[in-house]
Amino acid sequence: MASNKVYWKSFDQLANTEVSQRLAENEFAQDIPADVFLADERSLEAQTSRRDFLKFLGFSTAAATLAACEQPIIESVPYVVQPDSLTPGVPSFYATAYTDGQDYASVLVKTREGRPIKVEPGDAGRFNRGTNARAQASVLSLYDSARLRGPILNGKDSDWASVEASLKKAADAALAQGSQFVLVTSSVFSPSLQAAIERLRQGYANFQHVEFDAVSQSNTLDVWEALTGVRALPSIDLNTAQLVVSFGSDFLSGSTAQQLSSDYAARRKPGTGMLRHVELESNLSLTGSNADKRVKIKPSEVSGALAFLVNELGGSAAKIALRDDLTKALKSVAGELKSANGKAVVLVGGDDTNVSKLAAALNALVGAFGTTLRADKPVYLRRGSEARVANLIADLNAKRVGALVVAGTNPVYFRPDFEKAIKSAKFSLSVTDRMDETAVLCSAAAPLPHYLEAWADFRPVAGEYTVAQPTIKNLFNSKSLLEVLGGLSGDPRSAKDQVAAVAGSLGLNWNQTVHDGGAAVTSGSAAGAPAGAAAALAASAKVSKPVNGMELALYENAVGAGYQANNPWLHELPDPVTRLTWDNYLTIAAADALAMGFENETNSDGSLDGSYATLKVGKRVLENVPVFIQPGQTAGTVGLAYGYGRTSAGKVADELGVNAYALGAATGYATVEISKAEGTHEFATVQLGHTMMGRRIVNEVSLADFIADPKGTNWNEKPTFHTIDGHKTSEEANLWANHDHETMHMWNMSIDLNSCTGCGACVVACHIENNVPVVGKQEIRNLRDMHWLRIDRYYSSDMSKERAEEERIGGIEMYAKMEEPSESPSVVFQPVMCQHCNHAPCETVCPVGATVHSREGLNHMAYNRCIGTRYCANNCPYKVRRFNWFNYMANEQFADVNPSQDDYGRMVLNPDVTVRSRGVMEKCTMCIQRVQYAKLEAKKAGQPLADGGFTVACAEACDTGAITFGDVNNAKSAVRAAKADARAYHLLEEVGTQPSVFYLTKVRNA
Amino acid sequence: MHYESPVRQPLILGDKSYNQITEDVVRPIENAAPRSWWMVFSIALVMFLWGVGCLAYTVGTGIGVWGLNKTVGWAWDITNFVWWVGIGHAGTLISAVLLLFRQRWRMAINRSAEAMTIFSVIQAGLFPVFHMGRVWMAYWVLPIPNQFGSLWVNFNSPLLWDVFAISTYLSVSVVFWYVGLIPDFAMVRDRAVNPVQKHIYKVLSFGWGGKAKAWQRFEEVSLVLAGLATPLVLSVHTIVSMDFATSVIPGWHTTIFPPYFVAGAIFSGFAMVQTLLLIVRKVFKMEDYITVQHIEMMNIIIMVTGSIVGVAYITELFIAWYSGVEYEQYAFLNRATGPYWWAYWSMMTCNVFSPQFMWFKKLRTNLVFTFVISIVVNIGMWFERFVIIVTSLHRDYLPSSWSMFSPSFVDVGIFVGTIGFFFVLFLLYARTFPVIAQAELKTILKTSGEAQKKHHSDHGAHH
Amino acid sequence: MAHTTEPTPVVRALYHDDDVLISAVKEIRAAGYKISEVYTPFPVHGLDKAMGLKETRIAMAAFMYGLLGLTVAVTLTWYMMISDWPQNIGGKPNINWGMNMPAFVPILFELTVFFAAHLMVWTYLVINGLYPGADAQNPDPRTTDDYFMVELPAADGLVDVLKKSGAVEIAEA
Repeated sequence: MASNKVYWKSFDQLANTEVSQRLAENEFAQDIPADVFLADERSLEAQTSRRDFLKFLGFSTAAATLAACEQPIIESVPYVVQPDSLTPGVPSFYATAYTDGQDYASVLVKTREGRPIKVEPGDAGRFNRGTNARAQASVLSLYDSARLRGPILNGKDSDWASVEASLKKAADAALAQGSQFVLVTSSVFSPSLQAAIERLRQGYANFQHVEFDAVSQSNTLDVWEALTGVRALPSIDLNTAQLVVSFGSDFLSGSTAQQLSSDYAARRKPGTGMLRHVELESNLSLTGSNADKRVKIKPSEVSGALAFLVNELGGSAAKIALRDDLTKALKSVAGELKSANGKAVVLVGGDDTNVSKLAAALNALVGAFGTTLRADKPVYLRRGSEARVANLIADLNAKRVGALVVAGTNPVYFRPDFEKAIKSAKFSLSVTDRMDETAVLCSAAAPLPHYLEAWADFRPVAGEYTVAQPTIKNLFNSKSLLEVLGGLSGDPRSAKDQVAAVAGSLGLNWNQTVHDGGAAVTSGSAAGAPAGAAAALAASAKVSKPVNGMELALYENAVGAGYQANNPWLHELPDPVTRLTWDNYLTIAAADALAMGFENETNSDGSLDGSYATLKVGKRVLENVPVFIQPGQTAGTVGLAYGYGRTSAGKVADELGVNAYALGAATGYATVEISKAEGTHEFATVQLGHTMMGRRIVNEVSLADFIADPKGTNWNEKPTFHTIDGHKTSEEANLWANHDHETMHMWNMSIDLNSCTGCGACVVACHIENNVPVVGKQEIRNLRDMHWLRIDRYYSSDMSKERAEEERIGGIEMYAKMEEPSESPSVVFQPVMCQHCNHAPCETVCPVGATVHSREGLNHMAYNRCIGTRYCANNCPYKVRRFNWFNYMANEQFADVNPSQDDYGRMVLNPDVTVRSRGVMEKCTMCIQRVQYAKLEAKKAGQPLADGGFTVACAEACDTGAITFGDVNNAKSAVRAAKADARAYHLLEEVGTQPSVFYLTKVRNA
Repeated sequence: MHYESPVRQPLILGDKSYNQITEDVVRPIENAAPRSWWMVFSIALVMFLWGVGCLAYTVGTGIGVWGLNKTVGWAWDITNFVWWVGIGHAGTLISAVLLLFRQRWRMAINRSAEAMTIFSVIQAGLFPVFHMGRVWMAYWVLPIPNQFGSLWVNFNSPLLWDVFAISTYLSVSVVFWYVGLIPDFAMVRDRAVNPVQKHIYKVLSFGWGGKAKAWQRFEEVSLVLAGLATPLVLSVHTIVSMDFATSVIPGWHTTIFPPYFVAGAIFSGFAMVQTLLLIVRKVFKMEDYITVQHIEMMNIIIMVTGSIVGVAYITELFIAWYSGVEYEQYAFLNRATGPYWWAYWSMMTCNVFSPQFMWFKKLRTNLVFTFVISIVVNIGMWFERFVIIVTSLHRDYLPSSWSMFSPSFVDVGIFVGTIGFFFVLFLLYARTFPVIAQAELKTILKTSGEAQKKHHSDHGAHH
Repeated sequence: MAHTTEPTPVVRALYHDDDVLISAVKEIRAAGYKISEVYTPFPVHGLDKAMGLKETRIAMAAFMYGLLGLTVAVTLTWYMMISDWPQNIGGKPNINWGMNMPAFVPILFELTVFFAAHLMVWTYLVINGLYPGADAQNPDPRTTDDYFMVELPAADGLVDVLKKSGAVEIAEA
């Protein structure tokens, strides 16, 4: 596609109608009247005098010079009819719902001049309102040039008519021959789509609808379906919870993470009654990193552990022997569960039937049903059934499928068995966003609209109905699945009409619902679950003995299931825990790595290398899996992320990492044989120092100490300096008369380390909002990531100053030991961006004054004044300045990864923010464009700038409200209140930089 | 006219007359270059061109072709800059300070020392310019109004102080050097037979005629220039050291830097002078003028400054410990025991231990040994700058940003290129300029010439 | 000047030793003859006194130039940092020049030296009539090697005095 790009200027041209072609040809057409000129004899005989000649010479020279310094012409097409709803330069926001086949979120979409450029959290109160990294990044997937442009039939470009015709033919033929007509989708929780499918079922007796989720919850769903009669998972309500006990459930980055994260953070505000979180897991997950207490456990021990707890809490389950230390830990957990009765909830990860049964039983025993675990308020996001997938594969192989439609999912990639099976379908159509692993094997493929291009509706949870509206006309010749299915069942209505009909049937005001992005509806079929029945499940659950071999636990990182694997922003975002980018890899405990001879090595240039492993699960083999040594990994277990190893997703994702689905570990767990393979893998990490080296960087205090000493005199003392007149804080010990920071705005930012879960949504949001270049794996490997906002992750170390003191360990050895993370570390996250110091070291040293301080306390960066000495970056104690090492917009090294080098990707750039040139320094501006916009709006409205009226991109993206931005000169502002909090402190305050950013001490409920 | 006590060793050996001095000085200029010169010159030229290529690549592609990263924003570029500036100190120091102290032995070496100064400051100047991300905007560091309106430079910035210090130092050194060259060019001019050569030296000599009044002013100007150049020479490296001393980075933020850097500069400068002169005196047969005594004198200076530098290193360590500042303590502990321990200890060995050999007269008068040490010292001083810059940056306040550095071939290529450039200039100078300030030297022939001293002491003649 | 085409005849005496030259100059002046110029290959100490030349005031000039440089530096820093476009740079106080001055000390020093050195040398070249490509001022090329020339207007009895003073060669022009 790189060679022949087409910039369509109108939808006619896109459709390439004959009319538009002729118009294009005739546009500006004008013949040069040369013959007329030549026809005139006199003009030929005319004498050119010396003076004329000089005139011509002068003119032509001048003309040539002018032409030489002319700017390149950028074509732009004016509006023919200016839409009255749209003012150039002013963004419009549309409420909609984000889905990518895996996630669901209620969001607001920011559009500029008709282009969606940013996804923001939806209206407060909506279910799973908020944006995780994938939701933030999803706007770039819209402009993914790897998307399918038009229908394809038998490998040739075709059109919708013929594709639909051939589908209908195949479906009818199947009906006639008595073979099946199967529709494969991911979980469908859209009422209108369900209705369309029902209509199809009426038309075709041989019709089958197979739903499956990439990362399956099938067994868990079966358990709950048996209990409640509804194929859905109960929703988790942390608002009343005192205690969360999670067995390997990564609920802070799961399918309803936005909802849970905000509730979690809200319940973990420090003070009495703060939610306590105990995590028992094998991999060190994001959720586990946030836990107050973390216990290492092997997946095969989980059922035994749950059974133990069931028995402890008066239930009856099979008993098996467990490790002593585990038993000890479980005893205390049991104690906590008892004391928190009715206010506790037990969550489990993976998809094991017995584990689900035991968990349900345990929740029943702790009285979670109806309080913290709401089976009466089920979440419909997961409905898939692996049994039906298995049947389908069998039917395919047995050639019982006449027509197969795969819509919006990618079975060949998610379930490798499809690769062979799908070929046996007589006719197969993949309605998809790209020619993915499935589409390339189908007899036909047709483009599905991006969620920002189509009408849709959803029922994510009982009691809520949401409508997703398009924010841009289809970029490509795509067609909503509603319309495709409608075409088959003879329903001519457009997707919008179908959705509107459903909304109407629910008695909703259409315009209002669209505007709000949804509405509350009376929840149908919300039968709660009988706790007794749940408790009884424990008996029927089979409790397995712990296995001795290595166990694999699959997990999802920012890339998730892999639907958006071709989105560079998700790869550029470092994994919150490992801090690696552009990869998936086998996480392994140091002891196991040593035993198996796996190594991680840091080279002289700081780049990280690792060994390769070969994994074997049953008969399935996965080769060249990079091995990464992970502190906190349970010995005897390894972890591997889904979503990588794509072969037909696009230039970003292809050949990146390995495909974890290929191991066929349906429950997410498996015993695995690991053997060392040849070669060294090149990792791309952004962080080499993993511990705080005994420095006060992330200030942490236990809840007990916090409550005992609310003023923080003992756990948050300010560093002071000895001066002639006594001890002084860095504010007081000031050499200079300060500049005035009282009369105007004074922007400050508060970062609550207690609320921050480290998820990384803010990092992606910052990337998008500020047009930060994507630099790709090699440059990140060279430690040249461009993130303006990073989330530092620190592990605790076994060595401390105190211990060194006691054991008489010298400084050299102490520091050497301090660099090594503990085997079971406690983890802290710290978002760090430009601290906008009021005594900024960077400003003083710039020879050309390219970075200076604003009257509003912001540290400005004038890109076009910068000459790139990098002195400012060297002199920055926080190391937040980023240098443009190359011309990321043009250098071919970045052509594949950097959106701004792609004709479609470029459309996502924020028009309010400069794209920086090569050789200049850049850094966080506190979203100056937003600040200025808000100030102008307030000025136009003639009102003072209201606190909370606007905020910066990272703060807006944060589900937990960890980041607060505002004007400390405004007495009523939230940030001013935060600054007065006893937990507030400045990072590296002793350096005396007087930052405008401050942090709130982390409180661990331990 | 005063006569020197016979106890003092002669500074000019052999039975020289004024004319012989002239003959000896112009020999390299008037005779064809030996093959050895051509060989060395062509090697230097190749190195120079390679450096030019690497610079072109950098400017064309971006600073990304170097080994730097988000944490280590300076490495070889500024290391080389400080190293070359340091070397560029001896020249002016020798001619200025030693002139003020009436050290006659300087006369044999100051011309070449100053040449070395100028050529190495030229090399130094290349780095701050080409380390810029947008070198084509380099002129913005000058206090001139520009297309963005009256947007001025930032006089608070040590880097801007550098701009003024280095440019002042370079231009004043050139002037100082040239004022001394004029009479010697005149001498060459008056002997030249080849009309082309005669014309060239006529232009260079500014028509100098050696009038009494001119000489009177000449001496006054030399003295005042010396008086100005002395504080200047000290200021330059002081200001260079402020690039680091005024920063907040542990290992940079060190008040001891100015004297420590100046001592280091003199140290490395003299070492480089040694290296060059030992070659010059051999190749151009100037053993009579650049005597073992000269070499010994400079070795003593090297020994003293080397020890001062050593004291500075130890003071740094002590203060880091004594300050009780977490970051300072770790910074210096990390220097000596961290990933770059090898750089630290090569620095220590070369700069602190190796010069101590000079306590022994036998060693400091041994030319081969001197030559070796002079090279060792220059290597050590390069490492000093590398240690200060890279090991301080690579692990500063927040461990999350800690990193490592290793040079790319471009880093190396540019450094090699400047060495080539330096020798290209120096070799051209050695063929075309009077490498000894003969006019000045003639003034001390009677007092410090070997034969003359002998003559006086024999007759015990004292007017 | 000696080598101009003025008709006034001059006598040029060459000496071959600086000590002889000094005594000769003394004798000649004692005999009441006026020496117009002396050409030497190197600065002969005491010659200017023997000839009765006045002290040069170039050092004083240099001092003045230095003061000029200092003034320029003060004006430059004040105008750019305080007056024309004051900015908050790293919180450094720039309400007036004095508060910001410590940061300007290096600039003040460098510009002082710069002006003093360069303007002094310019002056030196101008008053000595030295410029690129100027014709050689010395009538006899040997005077830049090892000969010393005394030049004085012709007068009777002069030659004998010169001979007696130790001149190795005497020419009239």
